[in-house]
Amino acid sequence: MPTVAVFAVLVITVLIAGLVIARPAITVAREGKALAFLGLFIFPVVTAFLGVDNHVERSKETSFCLSCHVMGPYGKSLYVDDPAYVPASHFQNHRVPPNQACYTCHTDYTLYTGSIKAKIRGLHHIYAQYIGTVHQPIQLYHPFNNRECLHCHLGARNFEQGTTHSAIMDDIKSNQLSCVTSGCHDMIHNVSHLDQVKMWSPKP
Amino acid sequence: MTNPAEPNAGFMAKRLRLAGTLIIAGLVVEGASLGWNHPLSFVAFIGVGGLLMAVGILIYLVALVTPARDRRDHA
Repeated sequence: MPTVAVFAVLVITVLIAGLVIARPAITVAREGKALAFLGLFIFPVVTAFLGVDNHVERSKETSFCLSCHVMGPYGKSLYVDDPAYVPASHFQNHRVPPNQACYTCHTDYTLYTGSIKAKIRGLHHIYAQYIGTVHQPIQLYHPFNNRECLHCHLGARNFEQGTTHSAIMDDIKSNQLSCVTSGCHDMIHNVSHLDQVKMWSPKP
Repeated sequence: MTNPAEPNAGFMAKRLRLAGTLIIAGLVVEGASLGWNHPLSFVAFIGVGGLLMAVGILIYLVALVTPARDRRDHA
């Protein structure tokens, strides 16, 4: 739900709750009781659910991921002027939505989807960022899963009918052969070498 | 603000004001967090705004189910 709509529900809730605070005597009447129940229970709960949904949606944005200092080099790597860099070429050519670049390829990451354990990891990241210590270099919890590539590429003509991929398709689909560590598409963010590569500047 | 026709109005009025104030405070925090796209804003939304609202709602619900005799004792 758009942020404006969440704000609208929030303002309505504040108005009703404010009315109950200013005139608690209205709750003597049946209609007043119903209004208080709406303003002090139903609407706050609805606002909370809408707010959580809004926050989770916004946490998919590239700017959200890059708001943590440690992610800066990974954001910078999206602007490498070299088509061999897989994230950069996907980002620059809009093979992934630029405003959800991180989320599109890391859909199983922390706050987005997955288990409670993944959510707790997300909170741990916040703790490490502001109170604890960030271990460098940062690493994925699990090896990158081919599923993240296949949810777009699977079924695409140039992927399915290409001689290179079709010869090893079973291994790709079963995750036996990694897309990114097999020597095929292994130039990923490569942040330790960013000072040695040419960067792309999008025209304003 | 108490209603003489309702002996428990004073108790309810106090609880409604307290619950409403906490809920509005929580909503203000949540509203502020919605305007800030940052991991800490989510923590503020849940940890501060959510907590204030939850306490406010709980006070309201407990007041609703408190028996009339106990309300007179508290008022």
